[in-house]
Amino acid sequence: MSSNKKLRKIDVELIAAVGGIILMSLITIGSATHINTPSEDRYWFVLRQGIFTVLNIGVVLFFMNFDYRMLQGYGKKLYIFNIIMLLAVMFLGQTALGAQRWIQLGPISLQPSEFSKIIMIICMASVFQDKIGQLNKLSDLLPLAGYVGLPFLLVLKQPDLGTSLVFMAIFIGMIFACGVNIKLLMGMFAGAVACAPLIWHFVLKEYQKMRIMVFIDPNVDPLGSGYHIIQSKIAIGSGMLFGKGLFAGTQSQLNFLPENHTDFIFAVVGEELGFVGATILLLLYLVVLRRGIKIAQQAQDNFGMLLAVGITSMLAFHVLVNVGMTAGIMPVTGIPLPFMSYGVSALTTNMFAVAILLNIYLRNQKLQF
Amino acid sequence: MNTNNIEYNGRLQVISYIIVLVIAVLIGRIGYLQLYDGEYYASLADGNRIRIVPAVAPRGTFYDRNGTMMVTNRPGFAVSLLPLTAPISDEVINRLADLLKVPKGDIEEKIKAHVGFDPIRIKTDVGPELLSIIAEQKDLYPGVVVEVLPIRDYIYKEQAVHVFGYVSEINDAELEDKKNSPHKYKMGDIVGKAGLERVYDLELRGEDGGEQVEVDVTGKPVEILGRKNPIPGSDLYLTIDKDIQAAAERAVDEQLVAVGARAAAAVVMNPQTGEVLAMVSRPSFDPNLFVGGISSKNWNAINDNPNHPMDNKAITGEYPPGSTFKIVTGTAALAEHVVSPEEQIFDSGKHWIVDKGNADGEALGYINFEEAMAHSDNVYFYEMGNRLGIDRLEKYARMFGLGKPTGVDLLFEAEGLVASREYKEKVFDEDWYLAETFDAAIGQGFNNVTPIQAAMVMGEIAADGKRFKPYLVDRIVDYEGKTVKKFKPELVGQLDVEPQHIRLVQQGLKGVTKYGTAASVFRGFPVEIAGKTGTAENPHGRDHGWFVAYGPFDNPNIVVAVIVEQGGYGSTSAVPIGRKILEAAFNIPDPAKQAELERQRQLAQQAQKNKENNSNNRAQEQPAVVNNAPAPGREYGAANGRR
Repeated sequence: MSSNKKLRKIDVELIAAVGGIILMSLITIGSATHINTPSEDRYWFVLRQGIFTVLNIGVVLFFMNFDYRMLQGYGKKLYIFNIIMLLAVMFLGQTALGAQRWIQLGPISLQPSEFSKIIMIICMASVFQDKIGQLNKLSDLLPLAGYVGLPFLLVLKQPDLGTSLVFMAIFIGMIFACGVNIKLLMGMFAGAVACAPLIWHFVLKEYQKMRIMVFIDPNVDPLGSGYHIIQSKIAIGSGMLFGKGLFAGTQSQLNFLPENHTDFIFAVVGEELGFVGATILLLLYLVVLRRGIKIAQQAQDNFGMLLAVGITSMLAFHVLVNVGMTAGIMPVTGIPLPFMSYGVSALTTNMFAVAILLNIYLRNQKLQF
Repeated sequence: MNTNNIEYNGRLQVISYIIVLVIAVLIGRIGYLQLYDGEYYASLADGNRIRIVPAVAPRGTFYDRNGTMMVTNRPGFAVSLLPLTAPISDEVINRLADLLKVPKGDIEEKIKAHVGFDPIRIKTDVGPELLSIIAEQKDLYPGVVVEVLPIRDYIYKEQAVHVFGYVSEINDAELEDKKNSPHKYKMGDIVGKAGLERVYDLELRGEDGGEQVEVDVTGKPVEILGRKNPIPGSDLYLTIDKDIQAAAERAVDEQLVAVGARAAAAVVMNPQTGEVLAMVSRPSFDPNLFVGGISSKNWNAINDNPNHPMDNKAITGEYPPGSTFKIVTGTAALAEHVVSPEEQIFDSGKHWIVDKGNADGEALGYINFEEAMAHSDNVYFYEMGNRLGIDRLEKYARMFGLGKPTGVDLLFEAEGLVASREYKEKVFDEDWYLAETFDAAIGQGFNNVTPIQAAMVMGEIAADGKRFKPYLVDRIVDYEGKTVKKFKPELVGQLDVEPQHIRLVQQGLKGVTKYGTAASVFRGFPVEIAGKTGTAENPHGRDHGWFVAYGPFDNPNIVVAVIVEQGGYGSTSAVPIGRKILEAAFNIPDPAKQAELERQRQLAQQAQKNKENNSNNRAQEQPAVVNNAPAPGREYGAANGRR
């Protein structure tokens, strides 16, 4: 393959959309952290996020030299690595916001559950590629469920409800693509609903229950857990059509909006850039997700197809839950907005996911005339 | 791969649709929040960040008739809490309760009751020590702000407190009462609770201003967005004369001690205009105690006093007029021609029809109208009552304006009571007896007057039958110096009596201070005074002593009414007060005080001379100075010309 051909096989649309989102991210993080940081550290967050973006671009380019298919060879090893990593978090992790999610590695605190998402996509894709069209009975499905269930429970135990739900979303997206019997899928949902009371009583922690109750009615606890939702809705709503302008969002600049550069960054976009800015951002996500599905459709093999579906499911689920949360139609679950929220673990994961998509597209046979 | 391929391609298409749907739902949701509900959330965002820090308008100042400041404001500090988006922590409330010595429950109640975004006032008029603690330990008191407030300052404390009234924080009942007022009263407002402070609250209060301040989530001010300067309240220029008021209060206080009484009232007016020059009620209280919220100890001291310090007895106290009512009876007798001024009536010590006599059983023999008035002869006036009958007595009492409020610009003025058949029938369901007419004729029995009514009656005689409505405020002047309201004398009545008859009454009243019941006290008084003493029987204890007077006799511009509750004879309890008030009104120097002033002046001059001599070494000139003192007469003459 000549380099010229390689260039033609670059998904410019996807890169442009992701680039656009990351640009908006850097601007918004800059605005959100501008006032609330001591002046000597004022650009720390933007700088850090920018540096990791550049480093990750290097990783993406480096990864392009390999064929994504080599990943399926690592399926089993990655799965075991993943379990060990999650166990390590459980025993070595640092507690933050009531959950053990962090591992300190030198100057960088890593969030293994972020990496765990992409690892699980690779593992699932390598296992599920042989099951296409064969998921008709419960007995077909159970082994796969068990395969995902172990890491799922480990993440849930951290507790990181958000990431475990992401696992579920990836799992459902993949088995759906594998052609799972629709009735079987429905049955699974019904089972989940039936198990809900058990999960409520035995699995969910108090603060998670509160989050769900608050989601149903934020005014249950307006100054506690409901506070985030209320302030976030106020921030978005008060942005109106054109927003209050960068650095001028009263909700985010005056600290009424907590976590404004991480989980609630979409509210800053809504407040400062208005409906116009928020819609542009959502349309950029639409482009990314549509490209993800397109790449899945054009993938040269089932492994590639499932990888692309898993990645797209993951990203779509993040966007839905995060934006839904800031807009008050989803419970607060601590799921970051891909490419937007400050956080190097998530950024690295998401950029690697895009690298895989680009890799699949690059090695797509069908479009080679 | 082919069949599977087609199969999963369909599925992928479904996922693609789902993604479009998800994004569409999200765009729809934020569109709803931002476009449909945007205004609402924008107002919530402003509510989050914008706080109003009010600037309280200074209340109007009270000036006396000569422009002397009597009530003003001084700068004070209040400690307040800014309502935050997050709840105020228990720790801060505890700390604040300890520091300000305010019960924690009170603070919590105030926070709970508060709506809006202006500061919650926890304690007003806080001393500088506490302020510096709050300023130094800012981090321990998040959301706590110090407001600068004008604090009401009654410069002369108790002086004229019953006229001025007092101010304090508005209560729920008042808030409800004032719902329809043109001014929008709100919780925490300082309002006039009594006296002129209450009557003219709207004019006095001005309009509060404030600053719109942008705050962050901890309530820390970030930027001032806008400012509205407060409009100070209008000033009251009173008819009160500070010197006469002070003299009247001093005279009353000294006399209360002298006669061992506890309550008294005095009113000084100009009979030609109705201007009230002084108004005293005892016991009294210090209105400054109420300004920052009164302590329960002070409140109990006021509230438990059996003589009701808060009452303005000059307008709310109703007493039998006693012999001061003989002014009414005498005027009626002359006007109705039931007696001629020359007719002599024999006083044998008691009346021949009803067995009633003079107080001490003395008998004055044959006396005419003027002598009877001067000596306050009961037998003579019983006979006048006998000849007039109760109905005509009632008619003249009402003609003088008794039985209804005088209309002075204060609240809760009492009406008094005029003895009448109708009243007795209504209240006791009984016919009228002649003996009751006798009682009524000398101001006992059912008759009741307030001190201001007593002054009004005397004032009508002084002003040749004209009755002016008493008033306390000459003009209201706004902060720009513009007179917004000017009060003029208001003629509200005229005695339907021939002038010569009024003159006869005047002559009789002059006799009171010349040779009658007040003569001993007024001996040597340089201004001609008409007066009338009274001793009102009091079923609950000692008699009340009355004195009413006016002067100068030929051109009266001062009328005085004094009552000493349970002071005994009017001539010994009330008359000395009356004299001292008249002395002050006519600027007649008190001999004892004059001597003291003279001595001090000489000492001062001596000291001055000594100093000069010491520096100049001319000690021999010293004795020449002693005779250089100013003549006392000069000062008196000059002062007398003032009125």
